[in-house]
Amino acid sequence: MRSHTSLLLLAVFCPCGAATLTFHVAGTDPGGWPAILSSIGLQNAARGEIEVIPSGIQPEETDWAQRVESGTILVLEGASPLATSFGFRAGTKRISVRSVEDVRAPELRIVWEQALDVPVFEVPKDARVFARERWDKTPLVAGYKRGSGAILWLAAPPGPHGYDRFPYLPQALAELGLEAPFRSSRLWAFFDSAYRSRVDLDYFAPRWRQAGISALHVAAWHYWEPDPQSDEYLRRLIEACHRNAIQVYAWIELPHVSDRFWEQHPEWREKTALLQDAQLDWRKLMNLTNRAAFTEVSRGLRDLIGRFDWDGVNLAELYFESLEGHENPARFTPMNSDVRSEYRSASGIDPLDLFNPKSERYYARSAAPMAQFLEFRADLARRQQAEWIGQIEEIRRSHPWLDLALTHVDDRFDTSMREKIGADTSKTLPMLNQHDFTFLIEDPATIWHLGPQRYPQIAARYQSMTQHLEKLAIDINIVERYQDVYPTKQQTGSELFALLHLASGGFHRVTLYFENSILPADLPLLPAASAAVPRAERSSGKLMVNARENVGVVWSGPALVDGRPWPAGSDRVVLLPSGQHAIEAAALKPVLRLLDLNAELDSASAIAGGMEFSYSSNARALAVFESPPASFQIDGVKAYPPMIGNLAMLPRGQHVVTATK
Amino acid sequence: MAKSFLGFICIVCNIWAWQVTPDPAFSLLNQAYAALRVKHYEEAIGAFRQAAALDPGRASIRKDLAYTLLKTGESEAARDQFAEAMRLDPADDQVALEYAFLCYETKKQVEARRVFDRLRRSGNPTAIEAFENVDRPLREGIARWKQALQLDPENFSAHEELAKLAEQRDELELAAEHYLAAWKLRPARRDLLLDLGRLWQQQNRPEDAHAALLAASRGGEPRVAEQARELLPSRYPYVYEFENALKLDPSNDALRRELAYLHLEMGNRAAAEQQLHALPQAAAPARFDSVPRSPSEPPDNKMLGEQSLEKGYMNDALKYLHAANENDPSDYEVMLKLGWAYNILKDDREAVRWFERASHSPDEAIASEASKAYRNLSPSLRRLRTTVWAFPTISTRWRDTFFYSQAKTELRLAFPVHPYVSLRFIGDVRGAVRMGANISPQNLSESSVIAGIGLAGPAWHGLMGWFEAGEALRYQIPRGETGRAVPDYRGGITYAAVKRLPRRLFAETNDDGVFISRFDKDSLLYSQNRTGRSLGENLQLYWNWNATVDAKGEYWANTVETGPGVRFRLNPLQFTVNFLRGAYLVNQSNPYRPNFNDVRIGVWYAFTH
Repeated sequence: MRSHTSLLLLAVFCPCGAATLTFHVAGTDPGGWPAILSSIGLQNAARGEIEVIPSGIQPEETDWAQRVESGTILVLEGASPLATSFGFRAGTKRISVRSVEDVRAPELRIVWEQALDVPVFEVPKDARVFARERWDKTPLVAGYKRGSGAILWLAAPPGPHGYDRFPYLPQALAELGLEAPFRSSRLWAFFDSAYRSRVDLDYFAPRWRQAGISALHVAAWHYWEPDPQSDEYLRRLIEACHRNAIQVYAWIELPHVSDRFWEQHPEWREKTALLQDAQLDWRKLMNLTNRAAFTEVSRGLRDLIGRFDWDGVNLAELYFESLEGHENPARFTPMNSDVRSEYRSASGIDPLDLFNPKSERYYARSAAPMAQFLEFRADLARRQQAEWIGQIEEIRRSHPWLDLALTHVDDRFDTSMREKIGADTSKTLPMLNQHDFTFLIEDPATIWHLGPQRYPQIAARYQSMTQHLEKLAIDINIVERYQDVYPTKQQTGSELFALLHLASGGFHRVTLYFENSILPADLPLLPAASAAVPRAERSSGKLMVNARENVGVVWSGPALVDGRPWPAGSDRVVLLPSGQHAIEAAALKPVLRLLDLNAELDSASAIAGGMEFSYSSNARALAVFESPPASFQIDGVKAYPPMIGNLAMLPRGQHVVTATK
Repeated sequence: MAKSFLGFICIVCNIWAWQVTPDPAFSLLNQAYAALRVKHYEEAIGAFRQAAALDPGRASIRKDLAYTLLKTGESEAARDQFAEAMRLDPADDQVALEYAFLCYETKKQVEARRVFDRLRRSGNPTAIEAFENVDRPLREGIARWKQALQLDPENFSAHEELAKLAEQRDELELAAEHYLAAWKLRPARRDLLLDLGRLWQQQNRPEDAHAALLAASRGGEPRVAEQARELLPSRYPYVYEFENALKLDPSNDALRRELAYLHLEMGNRAAAEQQLHALPQAAAPARFDSVPRSPSEPPDNKMLGEQSLEKGYMNDALKYLHAANENDPSDYEVMLKLGWAYNILKDDREAVRWFERASHSPDEAIASEASKAYRNLSPSLRRLRTTVWAFPTISTRWRDTFFYSQAKTELRLAFPVHPYVSLRFIGDVRGAVRMGANISPQNLSESSVIAGIGLAGPAWHGLMGWFEAGEALRYQIPRGETGRAVPDYRGGITYAAVKRLPRRLFAETNDDGVFISRFDKDSLLYSQNRTGRSLGENLQLYWNWNATVDAKGEYWANTVETGPGVRFRLNPLQFTVNFLRGAYLVNQSNPYRPNFNDVRIGVWYAFTH
């Protein structure tokens, strides 16, 4: 009995379990630390569980050893008496640093935009070195645990953005005991099986879910034509995902259909302005203006959707090439005979003339004819998008659970996209008024080098263009950028988390391109970075959380939410709907718990013998219970949803579910 | 019975065989396979890795490890294990195929194509198909981009695409040709030079490769420079290598500037200037006699600041050091250098501020130097400044010890002329200078304590004027004179300058023009000059060039001296030892020989409050 009382007291006085909620940066110039720490959900406070002492700051507090022993994670920059007292001593030798090696990913090239001269430090023997200079291996980031807390030391400040020098500071803090307070499980991720053909899907699916992924958008062109072996792979992939509450979308990249389709139909191949077949990078583009081609592709799409248990379709990048615009005729599309003929009929001009240096209409000689053709081209892209949305909607009649996403490159932030590739949001976005789809805004390659702050700006521009804010999503490309970017060519660590965090704050849904390019070191902190919690604080034994979207709060044991027993969550996480909520410890665990939900949780309550919750979802909802419910009612009507173990597949839309044990 | 016996023999043989050839990896492999059966891949991978370390020559362990890595998506690690298995067992075509497929998947297409090509030649049907799948798109792509270039020869992306495809197809010459063409269309894209250098290395064109990589390592974006650095030898490039690189990349200003610095360092000023004149105006440095930058230590503000300070380009030094301080506000060494830079520029208020900041350095050497400079300098900013100095000197010529000292308290006003009170002591221990003659060499010992008040002007380019009026209290009264106290008026101008030259060479001069009433209102000019070299921080070897002349033509006031000397510092004292050969320029009334030798050993001590 006594031990039970102790456990209860522990639960009451340690809300939020072992998670780290707050940070504080000493001095008046916090540098990049707020960006680093808030990107994984930590809240700025007057006194932090993480205390950062920037270089050159002499903190008033003196008993740091005791605070660290009691659980504080102390972060020290550069040389200081405090750093010396914890064993990090600057020597007289100095070194110019430009290349850094992180021990987690020694192959990752970390290059600083500006070289920096730093002293060579002596670090304590028991300290773990996290990062060092690439060539002479001088320690640059190191740390060790002491008592319940830890010390993290950096040879130099992290830089103004937080990710300029040491991308993996959040990971280093996690290794020293930091547990991020919030977890979101709402990410979408693009997936190409070409990179995962021999993995154990049952090993990967739970890892994806733990990384916060709610849906995979699977490159469907590999499965356009039936093939027993590859079809079997895709079925296993979908089953493994569903077992782990992950939805699976067919990602279509029209006008690329498939490699075999390209081979089989040379007559329908798209042409560039040099009249070559339009095989540009990996995409082999088809002429969908041609009605015979359209009919054949439409038939293939129906077959593809019908052969597999998809949860949705993503109609992606349906416009033209290329990012170099009309200035590179070798990559400019469409220039197939159907398009040329249509334009000639409308304007009396063969668009090929626009690229002919001998023509009076050559674009370098006369801008107006090209501008007119680019207008026609943007309108053609919109017509094609509408046409294919119509095709999917027809398929939905027989597959009502299907969600639809339209991936469309941003042309509001980078306004050159309309001219370059024919993408025109002003024409596409109004289709949300007639059609039910998610408008997934793709970050164009031309702005991949800009910082995370671009996402709030992009969000602001789109929010003023539509009433359907809940239908806006953003796609972050996690790839090697062609621009001069630092410190890593591909976003990782602090930069990735900042991107995700700011994007999650501005958009209802965030998508990552792509599953295989996300570096393993980043996976554990993706859920923390994608959680949108503007405010949280502890008060009188309660944890007050203001969440913009559904969020999981790290919490040990049973919980009351807003004073009521709460059945949504596990022993480690409480699942909350969006809005302001108060969590406190509860004495008893509900008889039936909803451990995971791939849908928007609107409400939940424990009822006699079970639980009730409401949700909304654009695709089928996937609900994981602690044990299989004996009975279901959906919207007050007895129901028998398909079950996979403890997981129930619930209908698309907004519903109330009553489940009893 | 026979069966039992046979079984017993078998068991014994097995035990014997096991004892003779024990499998060092046996238990680890058991552990690995057990973990694999229950899909505990991390555990299995760990055990396989340990087993491979214990038995590194066994290809089968590498294969099993590779297949397990594949389950967890570790394609690159799996590829590397298959590579090792292929090395251990070159006859295993299946392993080679696995390796080639993974090379293709992990963007090592060239290697994949090579392995498929080797295997298809032995008739392996999978390799034949795989090779065709890899080669055909490359073939077609090359043909397509060649055609595009026929239609549009200046198309940058066509050149670049063609080069990439040709490189993947092992058509190195074609690839190099189009990387070069692409780079010529966009010379700022020095990443293409990196590709070119890599290709030329493969084509066994080391000098061309070196030129391309050297050009890529300078003036481009830092990431390209770092990659080029990996491919270059670790030594610093030779002049001809710079020249080759400039032939390839003549618009590379950073490269040209560095070659100029290198020429300067080697003493080839004309060649340096030639390179500098070839730079566009905006790219030319304001000063160019700086040291070359080593590729292993890229130029930075701190280094440039230190070099400028060393060379005496103080405005540049301030600019670079402030930039370095902004870059790393915790660099106490930069703070110290800023202190010295301001000190040299006579902005002691700023200097004191930086010395004070640097004195908090955790590096004891920096903190000590800064604290000392702060202590020395901060009094100069106070209204009342007291300076005390003493200079005892032993002279072998006079076999005596002379003692010169002064305590002076100065009132520092905004007005450029500062009043002061002074107490001097000028004397010797034995009175030796008076021996053998009735004429005193008064420049050596006045045997007096002189109290006075004076005015000192501001220092201007090392030049300062002063005048002092007081009373000399003589503790020894020369023969023929009376009165212990005599009026003393003196004044003059002082000039001091130090020139620091390359290679730690220096030249300094201390010149005093003095009027002294007590010396029959004589005016003397002392000029002490030293040229020499510093050896480390605290030791200098030099040559003395001293001269004294006066207005009245006294023999003792007209001498020249020369000879070697050494000066060293044992804080807070500075010792000098001079070996002098001298000559009197006026020998009328001179009781001594016209030439003399003297060894003078002196100790200098001073402090200011």
